[in-house]
Amino acid sequence: MVKRIVDLRSDTVTKPTETMRAAIADAEVGDDVLEHDPTAFHLESEMAKIMGKEAGLFVPSGTMANLISVLVHCESRGSEVILGHNSHIHIYENGGISTIGGVHPRTVKNDDDGTMDIDLIEAAIRDSKEEITFPTTRLICLENTHCNHGGRCLSVEYTDRVGEVAKKHGLKLHIDGARIFNASVALGVPVDRLVQAADSVSVCLSKGLGAPVGSVIVGSDSFITKARRLRKTLGGGMRQVGILCAAALVALQENLPKLESDHKKARLLADGLNKIQGLRVNTSSVETNIIYIEIEEFSGTKAEKLCNDLEEYGILLMQTGLSRLRVVLHHQISESDVQYALSCFQKAVNGVNHENGN
Amino acid sequence: MVTRTVDLRSDTVTKPTEAMRAAMATAEVEDDVLDFDPTAVRLEAEIAKRMGKEAGLFVPSGTMGNLISVLTHCDVRGSEVILGDNCHIFIYENGGISTIGGVHPRTVKNNSDGTMDLDLIEAAIRDPRGEIVYPTTKLICLENTHANSGGKCLTAEYTDQVGELAKKHDLKLHIDGARIFNASVALGVPVDRLVQAADSVSVCLSKGIGAPIGSVIVGSKSFIAKARRLRKTLGGGMRQVGVITAAALVALQENVGKLESDHKKARLLADGLNQMKGLRVDPVETNIVYIEIEEGLHMSAAKIVKNLEERGILVMEISSSRIRVVLHHQISASDVQYALSCFQNAVKGGQTENGN
Repeated sequence: MVKRIVDLRSDTVTKPTETMRAAIADAEVGDDVLEHDPTAFHLESEMAKIMGKEAGLFVPSGTMANLISVLVHCESRGSEVILGHNSHIHIYENGGISTIGGVHPRTVKNDDDGTMDIDLIEAAIRDSKEEITFPTTRLICLENTHCNHGGRCLSVEYTDRVGEVAKKHGLKLHIDGARIFNASVALGVPVDRLVQAADSVSVCLSKGLGAPVGSVIVGSDSFITKARRLRKTLGGGMRQVGILCAAALVALQENLPKLESDHKKARLLADGLNKIQGLRVNTSSVETNIIYIEIEEFSGTKAEKLCNDLEEYGILLMQTGLSRLRVVLHHQISESDVQYALSCFQKAVNGVNHENGN
Repeated sequence: MVTRTVDLRSDTVTKPTEAMRAAMATAEVEDDVLDFDPTAVRLEAEIAKRMGKEAGLFVPSGTMGNLISVLTHCDVRGSEVILGDNCHIFIYENGGISTIGGVHPRTVKNNSDGTMDLDLIEAAIRDPRGEIVYPTTKLICLENTHANSGGKCLTAEYTDQVGELAKKHDLKLHIDGARIFNASVALGVPVDRLVQAADSVSVCLSKGIGAPIGSVIVGSKSFIAKARRLRKTLGGGMRQVGVITAAALVALQENVGKLESDHKKARLLADGLNQMKGLRVDPVETNIVYIEIEEGLHMSAAKIVKNLEERGILVMEISSSRIRVVLHHQISASDVQYALSCFQNAVKGGQTENGN
């Protein structure tokens, strides 16, 4: 039986479109290690310009983008970075900044909206010159949108304030901007203004923008020069990489305008899910394309079971806790998919009620 | 002035062919991090099968292939790896095994044929009785073909002997097989036989095989499972990566068969250059040619390289008296003849000045 699949596990599942595939096939390429691949150069320059930074660097993944950024800012031994306790770098990047980079993480509590208290950030800053037992804080990292807190946006005011704290203490500021365009669209703030305070930003092309592979790091010329060398060391120096960058350039053009509609679909889905008895969604916290769903205790089901039941209907999503699910909208999910997903959720929850004799 | 360009700097400059581009455009893809990209799986399985190993893993570069392999074999703090003093991992990979991976390198002299003396390897293995001051040797690395020695081939017999040594001392053996297919073709030995003694091999697809990007590591299932995780940590986990691996599959099909002809072109070029007064070419086994500029010519490598560049011939300056050229499938026999005539022109100045 041909099952209709609605893949809501992540916006990374987006597949390359026909125009992207055509661009991949026609891409002008060069050896990006021996010299510069022209299409990579075009993408990197374009992204830098859009972000209001001096230069850019294409990398195979967001993980490498963050790893490189942290390691370049923290290039002296004995460095420490301040970041959210629930940030992607801290939770989902294999602890690479430490295990690979030798940098010590100092976490500060992420609030529900993805921010960290400015005073708590400031209190966490330390200098080994003051105290022989301290590492030296070099860097603060923010994440915008904040993944684990439901794709919430950090405002430009908040980002600027953190930037000021960083400057005051001689620190750098890096923004994990995997979904920075979602934030820019949701807030109605031009993206370069949004990241103005940052020394570097990592931007994913393979998520909502829909490219098959990659991220771009942006920053100053000197930062990017160091980043390029570290990229080679980590093994991210690819040869005729223009084929991937060509797809990313198309993605920027085609899918940036579609992010607003992803947010609309998310709100539609969130509202619908919240109306289902047994499920609860904090709809006011759905700001972009990510929805977290709480399964109420009285529903008699748990996340794992609901996930499995929904999979039978072809709805794929992620289990993030015993009673917690996550869905992510993207441009290859249609409005009709959203309606179908809602009806499947309803059926699945009803089905459980049936089983429980409700 | 329109110059004909003959790029002999490396076999990495190879551009994707029409067939590769078509394959990339139509590749079947999935999210290779959340699940498995089917085209990546096909490539990994194909290379593993050809190498006679259990499993494979696609990575963005040879550097990452070697970095992951060394770090996975040396996954305990305090590890040491034995490798050649003139090998690619030691010289051209930014010291990453140490700066990134915390592994200590113990070099053994590379002979001009790319091998290391077996007794010198054995002598370099750390005695566990000295462990209070010694790191622990975990791994031996070979490189086949050996780039800095001029693309020299390590024989199956030599590789097996190193493998036995490794086993005797409970060490692993990794082969940097960036150009392993060149070795296999030149030696007339099936590639799986050639790497039989190795626990892991890294194989480049973006060099002579001509794919735009990437390498594949092969090894046991458990090794590859660990390697996959480390690949993610280093940032090499790509999503719809099938668009690249599709090109690699075509490359395997189209270009392994052309390597023998690359070797022929290299020999042709080498013979021609050797006949020029003032130049001396090291023996050529595969697709790499090293050219020594003899003292009597009184010409620097830089001068010759520049002269050649003006005629569209791109080569690599290795030192003030040494130049390297690398042949690949996008260099034709006519390109080789053209290059020879340009070299002749370039050195003529030096020859005439000395009244030769």
